[in-house]
Amino acid sequence: MSAILDLLPPLPALFGQILIGLINGSFYAMLSLGLAVIFGLLNIVNFAHGAQYMLGGLCAYILLKYFGVGYWPALLIAPVVVGAFGVLLERLFLRPLYRLDHLYGMLLTFGVALVMEGLVRNQYGSTGNPYPEPPSLAGAWNLGFMYLPVYRAWVIIASLGVCLATWYVIERTRLGAYLRAATENPKLTRAFGINVPRMVMLTYGGGVALAALAGVMAAPIYQVTAQMGSEIIIVVFAVVVIGGMGSIIGAIVSGFVLGLVEGLTKVFYPEASTTVVFIIMAIVLLVRPAGLFGAATRTTAAGESHATAASGLRLSPPTVRNVTIALIATGVLAPWVVYPVFLMKVLCFALFACAFNLLLGYVGLLSFGHAAFYGGASYITAHAVKMWGFDPLLGILAGVLAAGILGLVFGWLAIRRQGIYFAMITLALAQMVYFSAVQAEFTHNDEGIQAVPRGHLLGLVDLGNALNMYYFVFAVFLLGFWLIHRIIDSPFGGVLKAVRENEPRAISLGYDTDHYKLVAFVLSALLSGMAGALDALVFQLASLTNVHWTMSGHAILMTILGGVGTLAGPIVGALIVAGMENYLATLGAWVTVIDGAIFIVCVMMFRRGIVGEAAVLLRKVRLKRKTEPVLAPSTKGATS
Amino acid sequence: MPDADVLDVRDLCAWYGDSQSLHGASFNVRQGEVVTLLGRNGAGKTTTLRAIMGIVERRSGSVCYDGRECIALSSDRIARAGIAYCPEERGIYASLDVEENLLLPPVVAPGGMTISEIYELFPNLQERRRSQGSKLSGGEQQMLAIARILRTGAKLLLLDEPTEGLAPIIVELIGRVIQNLKARGLTILLVEQNARFAATVADRHYIIENGRVADMIAAQEFDERSEKLSAYLGV
Ligand SMILES: Nc1ncnc2c1ncn2[C@@H]1O[C@H](COP(=O)(O)OP(=O)(O)OP(=O)(O)O)[C@@H](O)[C@H]1O
Ligand SMILES: [Mg+2]
Repeated sequence: MSAILDLLPPLPALFGQILIGLINGSFYAMLSLGLAVIFGLLNIVNFAHGAQYMLGGLCAYILLKYFGVGYWPALLIAPVVVGAFGVLLERLFLRPLYRLDHLYGMLLTFGVALVMEGLVRNQYGSTGNPYPEPPSLAGAWNLGFMYLPVYRAWVIIASLGVCLATWYVIERTRLGAYLRAATENPKLTRAFGINVPRMVMLTYGGGVALAALAGVMAAPIYQVTAQMGSEIIIVVFAVVVIGGMGSIIGAIVSGFVLGLVEGLTKVFYPEASTTVVFIIMAIVLLVRPAGLFGAATRTTAAGESHATAASGLRLSPPTVRNVTIALIATGVLAPWVVYPVFLMKVLCFALFACAFNLLLGYVGLLSFGHAAFYGGASYITAHAVKMWGFDPLLGILAGVLAAGILGLVFGWLAIRRQGIYFAMITLALAQMVYFSAVQAEFTHNDEGIQAVPRGHLLGLVDLGNALNMYYFVFAVFLLGFWLIHRIIDSPFGGVLKAVRENEPRAISLGYDTDHYKLVAFVLSALLSGMAGALDALVFQLASLTNVHWTMSGHAILMTILGGVGTLAGPIVGALIVAGMENYLATLGAWVTVIDGAIFIVCVMMFRRGIVGEAAVLLRKVRLKRKTEPVLAPSTKGATS
Repeated sequence: MPDADVLDVRDLCAWYGDSQSLHGASFNVRQGEVVTLLGRNGAGKTTTLRAIMGIVERRSGSVCYDGRECIALSSDRIARAGIAYCPEERGIYASLDVEENLLLPPVVAPGGMTISEIYELFPNLQERRRSQGSKLSGGEQQMLAIARILRTGAKLLLLDEPTEGLAPIIVELIGRVIQNLKARGLTILLVEQNARFAATVADRHYIIENGRVADMIAAQEFDERSEKLSAYLGV
């Protein structure tokens, strides 16, 4: 008996962690609840939810610091202000996107999140701004076995109350019936005389207000930082995948339970406490892909996840040849004009973006987790070369293989779901890799693996020489680029495009589409790994930056900026993004703001990207030149 | 003014994406009338009702309700103007129970039925008032779909095949409900496959063919022109 008791941690520590778990769970629950409500009605994943939570906390901080307005009024004012901001966002930016693929809503809100986080970091720095507990809730109760701080008890009870009240409104009131009706069949509901667009707008505002409320409640516990939102939102995505998106109760219960599980993990196996939620997510995906409370039907509507691709863009063989020739010529000459290290960075990014584009542009899958392959490979290559003395080629091979294995696992789990779920799952899995990298010994945490030797290629060519290294990187890039082109052009690529255009039809034609998607995913991971491995050699460093979710964001940004589903688009995108990182580095957080703004502009009015728009323009010009003499009297050709 | 047009439809066109399904339908419905739209499958009857309600992607022409042009209004404004719609697919909300479904459409004008009058008319619904919408039989769903719009006080009802797939006894009940509504002074535009049923309730019949009105048959001519009608309907 006493032997068993000895195994248990001391009771105060246990209760302390349970308390922390419940607190975290309170915030998970409130945030995933808002996400679920918004998703139900608007069908978008509100990526800005974390940033709006942060804005809530910030709003409270500003109210106190500059206006002397305390906690209790802030509890009301912050949600109203941030909610009003949400209403504006819905009206101006989200509404035009509803007829498009849901992924666009996710990308837009991702951009909004970047802009807000960047702006706040600019203004308030990334260190925490402390916010005092309200005096009326100061102190702690002595429960005998532990001290319970009053404020923490309040947070748990208040958030439980808010969650239950929200549940009640939605499930038991007239307003909730309108909401459920509009969620189920918006057109018919509108034809009954209910102003559904206004309801959608207010619901988004309400969900956002809920996030802001959570932010105010969190301020005295976690401090207010620019990144508090992006830190929590990825865990909340995992919670949502576990609970199942459609369900209100599911969001609440899984929020609290997962917070608790996290707390308990901290007691019994602290190493896993940051990853346990993601591991549970993986298990749930294997056992019940729709989530514990989810109904599978509505969420996996097929044929929804492909509109991102720039359809209708057929590149003629001469174009491909011209692009390739121009590419090689530029690549060979460039180091004589531009600083080679910068060029190598462009090439690494370009290969990464091309690999990403293989998946998004040709299979229609939006992964938010490609940083894991890029960063993962760069760690493995750096370690292999530095610690095991691998030859550079062998080191790259090791990195690529590691990325491929990761890709196999990610893909195997994630292709069970589509569209936005796929995006959230890949993001969560990549976050797991990130946390593992933070904890593992060999990655050296914040310092990273430094002074990675570039070595001699085949024992002959000294890669320490910048030009040698450059031409080596360029050759590897060309190899990757050529491989991608071959994949797209092969019969296999043809099937991928069929999957993108109409998955149900591809299935009915007898293709095992999951198998094809998995192979494409692994190929994309391998090639991303190749880019990451090169990165480690070029900069002689493998660091957390490369596995951070912002790197996944970069892959998406480069691809949609350059042009999804175009051959040269990702390269153009890479050039711009790498250029911004290099030359605007002094602007600090403004780069994040610009990144976010580019996302917003691309999604709102530039969905084909630079190369895609240019191609359309070019074709129009050509068409006009060809047809003008014939169709001169009629205007039909010009308008269609 | 018993002969005033409640609904006047002129050159109504409607599109689903790029394909046009209505090609200039014109007809009218007078105050207190029951008018049916008859036609083969795919003729455009449902689309006509949807175009009147404003729930097609694109439409053109003119829809005048009560002397007011509605072609540019959104469907919620059209509903609030006093037109209620019972769709062919019934549109019962699975996530709402029977009573929530009944109470969903907002009251747009006085003079609608009360909930107890509705339950009197459809006792089945009262028995099942706490059942989830998804748990109803086809007949119950159809009753609920009609019952749902009786509360709103709308003066013009658009009913799309209310008797489809129902047992004869329920069809009879629905026939009585329609007579009852007519007696209350409501105006009804009814889409029907069942010409015999249509004949028992309607004042006039429009034949829809290829997205246009091909012919009009008044109730008193129904028997003498039944051969022509059979030709139209292909039966
Ligand atoms: N959602 C839609 N998208 C595209 N075309 C449609 C759609 N709904 C109907 N159509 C087309 O519009 C035409 C008219 O259809 P409609 O549903 O109005 O016919 P209907 O007369 O109601 O037929 P039924 O008696 O079978 O109900 C048909 O050719 C149909 O194929
Ligand atoms: Mg029909």
